[in-house]
Amino acid sequence: MSEAYFPVGPGLGPEENFLSLDDILMSQEKLPGRAESALPRLAFALGQGAGPGDSLPEGSKLEIPLWLAKGLHDSKRRIISVELPKVYKEAWRTVFSADANVVDLHKMGPYYYGFGSQLLNFDNTENPQIAQSILQASTFISRFRRIMDSSQNAYNEDTSALVARLDELERALFRAGQKGLNDFQCWEKGQASQITASSLAQNYGKRKFTEVDV
Amino acid sequence: MEPAEAEFLAEKELVTIVPNFSLDRIHLIGGDLGPFNPGLPVEVPVWLAISLKQRQKCRLIPPEWMDVEKLEEIRDQERKEDTFTPMPSPYYMELTKLLLNYASDNIPKADEIRTLVKETWDTRIAKLRLSADSFVRQQEAHAKLDNLTLMEINTTGTFLTQALDHMYKLRTNLQPGESSQSQDF
Repeated sequence: MSEAYFPVGPGLGPEENFLSLDDILMSQEKLPGRAESALPRLAFALGQGAGPGDSLPEGSKLEIPLWLAKGLHDSKRRIISVELPKVYKEAWRTVFSADANVVDLHKMGPYYYGFGSQLLNFDNTENPQIAQSILQASTFISRFRRIMDSSQNAYNEDTSALVARLDELERALFRAGQKGLNDFQCWEKGQASQITASSLAQNYGKRKFTEVDV
Repeated sequence: MEPAEAEFLAEKELVTIVPNFSLDRIHLIGGDLGPFNPGLPVEVPVWLAISLKQRQKCRLIPPEWMDVEKLEEIRDQERKEDTFTPMPSPYYMELTKLLLNYASDNIPKADEIRTLVKETWDTRIAKLRLSADSFVRQQEAHAKLDNLTLMEINTTGTFLTQALDHMYKLRTNLQPGESSQSQDF
């Protein structure tokens, strides 16, 4: 059915989409890093230090959200330097190449693919090529089959067990697959030709009359 | 496209009926529909046939492919082949649903026909999923599938195109693009 609101999807590759809610939520994820120079009076703002006057000494470890890291990152590397979160490091990469289907991607940051794409922005990551092949070859492609089968076969069942291990991008795909299946089943039962009240109109009756009287 | 829209397109197909009323030739925008004489078979589009049947003005004759042996042959051939076999009608799913819902008394062995068509549908959908999976796994750029019907494409199309969009986005990460120049201060 046509929707009242058309959502803006997440952005392409290392670029974010400014208006996309998914991208905004994703850029809130934290990234480990360290301060390259002393940051006067900013300790409180960055979550360490007791009072508003403390300064961060050089070399201290920080956890900063992605949007802050992207803004402060500079090729001359004056302010901060970032390192890869451990989910994107060598150890986890071998886990993914062994079998990507068993990994709980929701726990690894609910925006695994988007965040990983953003990490390629910082050119101080070790091997962007390997990081990329993980995003595509091991993880997405090998999980694709599982998502397709589970989304197209679970009709009218509780899908929370199936969706629990998927990250946000895979969940959107899962919902699209479910919608295709549900539309077809609903048509086959004959419900497609029944007239039902629109979801917007169903909420009209819920306002109480006492609120209307001014 | 929704299943209801595919059904609407399927209603243009022609089917044979035997009316019990008489009427001269009628001229519609889509073409002429021949003179109706009681007891003489005439070809009409499905939308008209269903409407007349609901008003009990005609008797429907099932299309020649809607027959138990024929459908069993089609189902067995579908199971043997790896590729898709041509279907007797590009709208077989919709026509089966419409005719069996409204005119099951005119069609012999309606339940068996419904089961056979459903089995053929399941086989074809399974083949479609298998080929989609191998397409993604080998990251091919181009695939061609013959003999698919509109309803099958609709059911799996949204999911597949979204998944391929995501793959494309992840693939563009491979090329180190020119980073947008931000202000230097």
